[in-house]
Amino acid sequence: MRILIVGGGTGGTILGNQLARRLAREIRAGEVRLTLLSASDRHMYQPGLLYVAFGQMTPDELYRDEASLLEPTIDFQVDPVTEFHLDRNQVTTQSGKTHDYDILVIATGSRIVPQEVAGLSEGAEMFYTEEDAIRMHRRLLEFRGGTVAMVVSIPHKCPVAPVEAAFLLHDFFKARGIRDKVKLRYHYPVNQVHATPNVARWAKPEFDKAGIEYETLFNLKEVDPANKIIYSEEGTDVKYDLLIAIPPHSGAETVDENNLGQGGWIPTDRFKLTMNGHDNVYVIGDATDIPVSKTGSAAHFEAEVVVENIASMIKTGTPVREYDGRVYCFIEAGYDRATYNAFDYVNLPELKPPSKAIHWFKVAYNQMYWTTVRGLL
Amino acid sequence: MSVTANETAQIPPTLNEAAVRDLVEMIHLLASAKDAMSDAMVIRLARTVSEGVALLDRLTRNEGLMRLLQALDRQENQYHLISLSEALNQVSRELATVPPAKGGIAGILRLACEPGTQEGIRSLSLLGKYWGESLRELHRRGGT
Repeated sequence: MRILIVGGGTGGTILGNQLARRLAREIRAGEVRLTLLSASDRHMYQPGLLYVAFGQMTPDELYRDEASLLEPTIDFQVDPVTEFHLDRNQVTTQSGKTHDYDILVIATGSRIVPQEVAGLSEGAEMFYTEEDAIRMHRRLLEFRGGTVAMVVSIPHKCPVAPVEAAFLLHDFFKARGIRDKVKLRYHYPVNQVHATPNVARWAKPEFDKAGIEYETLFNLKEVDPANKIIYSEEGTDVKYDLLIAIPPHSGAETVDENNLGQGGWIPTDRFKLTMNGHDNVYVIGDATDIPVSKTGSAAHFEAEVVVENIASMIKTGTPVREYDGRVYCFIEAGYDRATYNAFDYVNLPELKPPSKAIHWFKVAYNQMYWTTVRGLL
Repeated sequence: MSVTANETAQIPPTLNEAAVRDLVEMIHLLASAKDAMSDAMVIRLARTVSEGVALLDRLTRNEGLMRLLQALDRQENQYHLISLSEALNQVSRELATVPPAKGGIAGILRLACEPGTQEGIRSLSLLGKYWGESLRELHRRGGT
């Protein structure tokens, strides 16, 4: 049995490690072969980029060698997939190699596509790559006062990131003693401050308390970096001195190029996590088109379901679990307070009042991530 | 048995004054611990726990190490290690006090005549014999 995992991010790595443990005996006996193909030999803790942008973490803290995180029984190769031939259970990689599989897991994640909005790359600061996060931190340090506008494009990963960034901006300028010289304006594309109603209900009074102004139903159409103006599809415009953007996201380039799904999002069964029309192809993490947040926690919970099902299929011939849409996200409500957002397909999130204890849970989790990704938690 | 709201109101509180005082002390303890902690401390603690868990996992799934620990559970093996350690100590001390060897066949003959040298050669030869057998057994069972 050849199991091929494409993608070495949170989902692919957790899945590989848990599967290697679950099928240790079969792998030792040569009955199962587990291969993981990744585009990089380094693994990044992506949520840490937000902390880099606010000077609370340094980039080196976000990386580990992927090989050091993987079970030694996984055949790990840095050789990204360029072609998927699902009809013949094969993929081709950048190096020209062909890999046959019996079971394929696609965990190729997502990427930012700021180029889809005119002027956004040139005019805005972002925190979705290491370079962008460092540059954003520098710009925040240089900022002396004026209007800081936050714009949010959809879809994007980590749905609570805009809210967290707004609170962190408030605390950042407060700590620098210039909060009174900064006007914080938050722009969100739907008619409330967050797409999840309960998060919006919680965040709105918190914004009011922090003096963060907000404009909802603001779908970013264009940025004019020369004159520092943002325009919405709804016909409004706002002048800014510093623009912070949550850029639009798309699925992985290779998914797009192979026409596996519209916008790079792969059509996936929301319970079985199999690719529609392909029972031996699983999809986890950001790559799916299922209606859950594009977060590491969703990828983690999805990986657990797929691991159990693959292991059970090999051992007993039948799958045993279904994904219930479970997601758990911390929400930083500033420098020293946080709350969390836990929900599934049926149950809506009910946010607890922010506290220091939950904030510490979050900063502790930033370290415990490496235990999670090794498949230990 | 169901309890009405009126009856509930009449149930005496189970916390007496001492228990409440204990509870308040616990709250003060937690509050002081919270005030004493910082983000950096939580990060260091979590990092240590995280690395500790990963290390523990590696150790407990290391079959060779587990067999070594099983071997070390036997008292005679512990004594072997202790005696080896004591012998190394003595070797170290003796080497520091005796003058360097002058070389030559005569020196080798003199050394070979000493009972201690003969004991040593016998021990090393026996060690070689049993170690070889043990390695063959290990390879036979699939070890590398």
